[in-house]
Order: sequence, then structure tokens, then C-alpha cells
Amino acid sequence: MALCNMMSVVRAAVGGLAGLCRAHGHQRAPLQSCLKTCAAGLKTYPVTPDYSDVLLPEKPKLKFLNKVPNLKKAKKEHKKLRDIQGPAKLANSFTSGQYAIVAMGGGYLHWGHLEMIRLTINRKIDARTTFARWRINAPYKPITRKGLGQRMGGGKGAIDHYVTPVRYGRLVVEVGGKVELGEVEHILTEVAKKLPFPAKVVSRESLEEMQRNQKEMEENNQNPWTFERIAHGNMMGIRRVLSPFDLHNNGRFTGKFHLPGRV
Amino acid sequence: MAATLCTKLLRNQGWAPLIQSVRHGSKAVTRHRKPLHIIKQKLLAVTQYIPPPRVVPPGAYPAENKCVQEDAGLSLILKKDLKKVFEESKMVAVVQKNGSNAEDMMILKHRLCKHGIKVKFFPNQVTRSFLSDSVYCNMAPLFIGPTVLFVSKEPKVKEMLSALRASPQMTLLGACIDNTLLSAQGVVSYSKLPSVTVVQGELVSGLTMLTSRTASMLQHHPARLSALLRQYVKQQSPDDGAEAAPKAEAAT
Repeated sequence: MALCNMMSVVRAAVGGLAGLCRAHGHQRAPLQSCLKTCAAGLKTYPVTPDYSDVLLPEKPKLKFLNKVPNLKKAKKEHKKLRDIQGPAKLANSFTSGQYAIVAMGGGYLHWGHLEMIRLTINRKIDARTTFARWRINAPYKPITRKGLGQRMGGGKGAIDHYVTPVRYGRLVVEVGGKVELGEVEHILTEVAKKLPFPAKVVSRESLEEMQRNQKEMEENNQNPWTFERIAHGNMMGIRRVLSPFDLHNNGRFTGKFHLPGRV
Repeated sequence: MAATLCTKLLRNQGWAPLIQSVRHGSKAVTRHRKPLHIIKQKLLAVTQYIPPPRVVPPGAYPAENKCVQEDAGLSLILKKDLKKVFEESKMVAVVQKNGSNAEDMMILKHRLCKHGIKVKFFPNQVTRSFLSDSVYCNMAPLFIGPTVLFVSKEPKVKEMLSALRASPQMTLLGACIDNTLLSAQGVVSYSKLPSVTVVQGELVSGLTMLTSRTASMLQHHPARLSALLRQYVKQQSPDDGAEAAPKAEAAT
């Protein structure tokens, strides 16, 4: 009896509620807040890039490079600073990776630099999605040093350490995999700041753009007098103050430095 | 040091230089930027890159090939809704809401719902892109700031205005009623217009006024008609005289 009463009460209550809802159906039906402040624009989410064709190698991390090359007899070498001068002919384009550090000047990288690069990159990249590649050799050029406080003379010093020469435009490390530039950029800039020469983080497209811009500048230069024209023609006897190196590089390089904005 | 140098040179059995300069400049590749010869400096200054002359400063005009982004997903749905709204409703009013609470909005919505006016929210970017494609492109400047659309099938302007007068934060910007753009003052004057039936009735009565009046006059008592005509003749007599009198007599 009590149960039946309860059920009838409940049914009445539900009926009453339903009646109310029907009366204000236009308001209750969508259960939205009455005040909707729309943003002026609409956020569109771009489609994530497709990485299905990217192949990750077996060993994604940078390998260890030796401090000293494996030679039976180490020979002392001349200083040969021309391996720093001028633009790079080798290893200045991408092979397997998407993003790289490119040298914007000349310099020597020794084992300490290479270890720093290796450790930073190996620590920071995710081995499951990214891989990294060296684009420079292990140090092979011997640098000699005399002992402390020695006077001039007495022959060439002993080999102190080995270095790798790097020219302008050479790629140092390449990074690739199922990542975008934004994910990898901060790691590579951290490394690039610590290198002994100015360096820049590039992707394939940005490197192409740099080269394209240089070509465009050369093509639409309004100045009728170019370095190449004057140097090759030895106008005003300018070869007196220019070196054969300047002839090759058309005034874009001075020593190990690259002069930007020169055509 | 000099001894070793001398012995090496003497050993070569060649030519020994008479003057040996101890001072020498730095090598070609230095850690610092080597100071350039003044003539080389002049050469570099003369052969600098000169870019092609720009007729228009950059940023003066909008980019020629503005990449038109394709709308994806939500914006397409919203545009379909907008299209339906514009097709169905005769009246579309744009109202700017500044600082009204949910409570005020709810009351306003309730008042408008009673007359069949719906309140719609759309993002401005979507509305503007939709309007630029459709016929209603001149409504685009209305959609700036926090705007709300009031749509209804019947143009019930008076009720809408009365509801808006109650809420001071809502400002009417403009409306598109029966495919005609109206400003705020236009809407107010539209509300003061009489309804269609009333206007039609007035027009019909104006056209048939002459015939109805003559019919009513002819239905009067003949004595009254003759009295009226005699008065008319008397009025005409100072102007025409004998011509009017026989005409009036011929009529009776």
C-alpha cells in the first residue's frame, strides 16, 4: 500500500516535470547556456603530417668518434689553414635527414666539441621517433703544441691533439625521423650556439631557400660593377691587394669568415 | 735559434738571403678579422649588392595571391546553418550585446520566443566569409564585435524593439527584412509603418473614393440632390453665368 502510494507520487512528480519541460521546451530542450560568447575566428586544426614513408635506421643515436685516429705512426702535419678557408665542396647537402646544423663560418672541431654534440643530441632526442647522423669525420688533423715556457726553435712541437676542419656551408649533424622542425629545433640550436664557428639550424626547405636567395641576388643585382668583373679583369691593378683566393670566392669570404650580403 | 737557422740555410748550398725580416704579418686565416687594405675596402664598398628598385613599399598593398584557406569541418557546418537561417527567415537582425548576463539573455530569449523570434550565435569570421560569397555581402560591416543574430520567419519588428528596449546593453546595428537592408533608424521607421492589410485597404478606398461618393450621393433624397445642384450652380454663376445654368438644368 505504501509502495503503491510512493510509486503514484513519483509518477505524478515525473508527469509534472514533463509538463513543465513541454511548456518551456524551446529553452530546456537544447541544454545549452543561454549566453554563448563566440570567438571572432574559428580555430582550425591542421592535419598532422604523414610519416609512413620515413625509415628509421637501426642505430638512431650518434656514434662515438675517437679522439685519436688509429694510425701506426702519427705524422706531424703543416698548419694548412686553407682547409678552413672558403666554402665547403663536400657534405653541404642533405642525405638522409630532414634537419641539420650548417656551419656559417670556418673552424676546427676537436674531440670536446664532438662529445658535447654527441651527448646533447643522444640525451635529448627520442630514439623511437628520431635519428641523428654525423656529417663530419672524426678528428684526423694533428695539431702540435710546444711545452709551456719553451723558447722559439728546437723543431716542431709534439702532436697535442687532433681536430676536424669545417668550412662554411658544411653540415655538421643531420637529424631526421617522424618529427617536425619545431620539436628538434631547440636541441639543435643549443648545440649550434656552443660550436666554435657561427652555425645555424636548417631544414631541407630552408637550405634550398638560402641557396635560391643567393642566386636571385646574383641575378637581379642592379650594380653594374661586381667584384668578379673587377677582379678578373684586374681593373685598376686591384690584383695587387687581392689574393687568388679572392678570385675564386668573389669577395664573399675573408679568411675563415663569410661576409653575408655579398654577391 | 739563429745558429740553427743559419746552419739550415748554409746546408742548402743555395742562395742565402741577405736581409731577413724577423717581423712578418699574420697569416691569411686569422681568428680576428684582418684589417683590409684600403683599396680592397673601396672595392668592397663599390661592388655592394644593389637590390632592384621597389615601386611600392612592402606592406603597402595586400598580397596579390592571398591563399584562400579551405574551410574544414566545423566552419562548413556553421555555414550550412547560416544558409538555412537566411533562407528560412524573412527578418535577420544583427544586435550587439555588451556585458549582458546569462540571466538577462535568458529573459530576452524567453520574450522573443513568445513571438517566434530565435536568437542565433555564430563566429564573426565564419559569417563574414559566408556573406562575401552570398548575396548579402553588404551586411559584412555589421558583424564586428560581439554580435548576435535575431531571426524570425515573420517580420515582427515592434515586438523585437520592445524587447530590446527593456535590455539596455543590446544595441541594434541593422537588419535585413524581406531582402532589404535597413539601418537601426530604418528598422524603427519600418516598425511605425501600418500593416500590409491596412495599407491595402487604404489604397483600395482611395481608388474607389470617387465612385463610392457619387453612389452615396445619388442614394440621397431627390429634393436634397436638387438643392445641392442649385447651390453648385450658384457657385459657378459668378464665373460662367448662362452656360452653367442650362447645363445644371439639363442634368436635373
